Amino acid sequence: MLTAERRVMVQASDIVKFYGRFKALDRVSLTIREGEKIVIIGPSGSGKSTLLRSINRLEEIDAGSMVVNGMDLYSPKTDLTRVREEVGMVFQSFNLFPHKTVLENLTLAQIVVRKRSKEESLEKARSLLAKVGLSDKASAYPGKLSGGQQQRVAIARSLAMDPKIMLFDEPTSALDPEMIGEVLDVMKALAEEGMTMAVVTHEMGFAREVADKVVFMDNGAVVEEGTPEHFFTNPGHPRAKQFLSQIL
Amino acid sequence: MTFKDTAKNIVDVGDGAAIPTKSDRGLFTAWRIAFVGAIAALAFLAWHKPDPYFNIIKFVPDGIVVTFKVTVGAILLALVIGLVTGLGRISSNRLFNGAASLYVEVIRGIPLLVQIFYIYYALGRFVKIPDLLSAIIAMAVCYGAYMGEVIRAGIQSIPKGQMEAALSLGMTRGQAMLHVILPQAFKVVLPPVGNEFIALLKDSSLVSILAVADLLRRGREFASESFTYFETYTVIALIYLIITLFFSKLIGIMEERINADS
Repeated sequence: MLTAERRVMVQASDIVKFYGRFKALDRVSLTIREGEKIVIIGPSGSGKSTLLRSINRLEEIDAGSMVVNGMDLYSPKTDLTRVREEVGMVFQSFNLFPHKTVLENLTLAQIVVRKRSKEESLEKARSLLAKVGLSDKASAYPGKLSGGQQQRVAIARSLAMDPKIMLFDEPTSALDPEMIGEVLDVMKALAEEGMTMAVVTHEMGFAREVADKVVFMDNGAVVEEGTPEHFFTNPGHPRAKQFLSQIL
Repeated sequence: MTFKDTAKNIVDVGDGAAIPTKSDRGLFTAWRIAFVGAIAALAFLAWHKPDPYFNIIKFVPDGIVVTFKVTVGAILLALVIGLVTGLGRISSNRLFNGAASLYVEVIRGIPLLVQIFYIYYALGRFVKIPDLLSAIIAMAVCYGAYMGEVIRAGIQSIPKGQMEAALSLGMTRGQAMLHVILPQAFKVVLPPVGNEFIALLKDSSLVSILAVADLLRRGREFASESFTYFETYTVIALIYLIITLFFSKLIGIMEERINADS
């Protein structure tokens, strides 16, 4: 296992999270190493999005510890914005800033957070737009773009911060079927470049092709964890077997 | 797609004159009848019975200027107070939140006329400031509370994902508010702020009880010297009506432009 020597990017230990009396996460632990691609799957309500969102503390946890890029998210000494600028996140609903052009969406945080010059951030933004194939949309407003285009812009917006890890929270779930491919292609290209990625998705083809490790969650707990070959051909846990038989 | 959940449903705040929109043709016609009718009535009276009507019309323009000074001054100050209050109402800082909520509750529970008296004389006890400024502050303190609620509703109408996206990029809450949330909320609150402006314009007639020579006060001065109460208040009412209708139309057009943009 080559990955064993790599630096740990995310160390989640015994995470517990309640929504009122509902236990959304039940002592979940997860390790993500540099360069690793983790795909988290499971039925809806299994806690996979909650787990992902706790990695940049968009979701507060009730117990356990979360260390990201060497920084403890719940230590009073940690500046949360410092952690978050290294952790890119792509949302199901894109969440582009509708009052700003595509280009401004990509430069805003570079200027405000990274304190880059306007020229530098513009250059970065333009090269990323070219990478996701949307150079011609630079001056358009997000409302004029298709869902697939918006999601590609959202990915570029996160990449503009030069993150050390990218989190994808069901990035294709809000898309029309014919647009899913273009977004997955961008994500695959990113994976090939060696980006550390954690992806919550229902796209089993993507998981099989890209994942180093598949994490299966059910009822707020990780019930199975392993390589895609192992998971898709010979899952051990009955819940995982049932899930696969329903979905494939 | 992302615009679907951008709430546009907080427009109905305040009690300004009805704002005509394209979809509301009946109201539009009513607006036209009222506006043209009020101007025609004023012109007819001035022509038909110059004494006292034309004399009244010549006497009150100073008052219109003062009414505008009070209204514009108070709305600008109320916006500043409202922004602070609105941010306070959604703040997780308990002291800030508590102070803002207390302010809103207290102001809402006291009649505007009482507040105007109170702030005017309370201010007068400690500082020597011009009557006009004192009246503006009194109106602004009152309307700031309502404006705070308008701005709070505007901020809360912006989808939660906007703040999350900004935070996930490493922005602080303040940066996210400044660059992402407030610019979007501004568009949403423009129509209700317009409503507040019209309501304030009408309520500004209350400052006539202070030593501020606004439109109503000027009318009262004229009436009490000439004993033409009925005629004077007819003119005053028509002038208020014309001004208010004019602004409600203006705000309606502005609102249409904004909706056309997005």
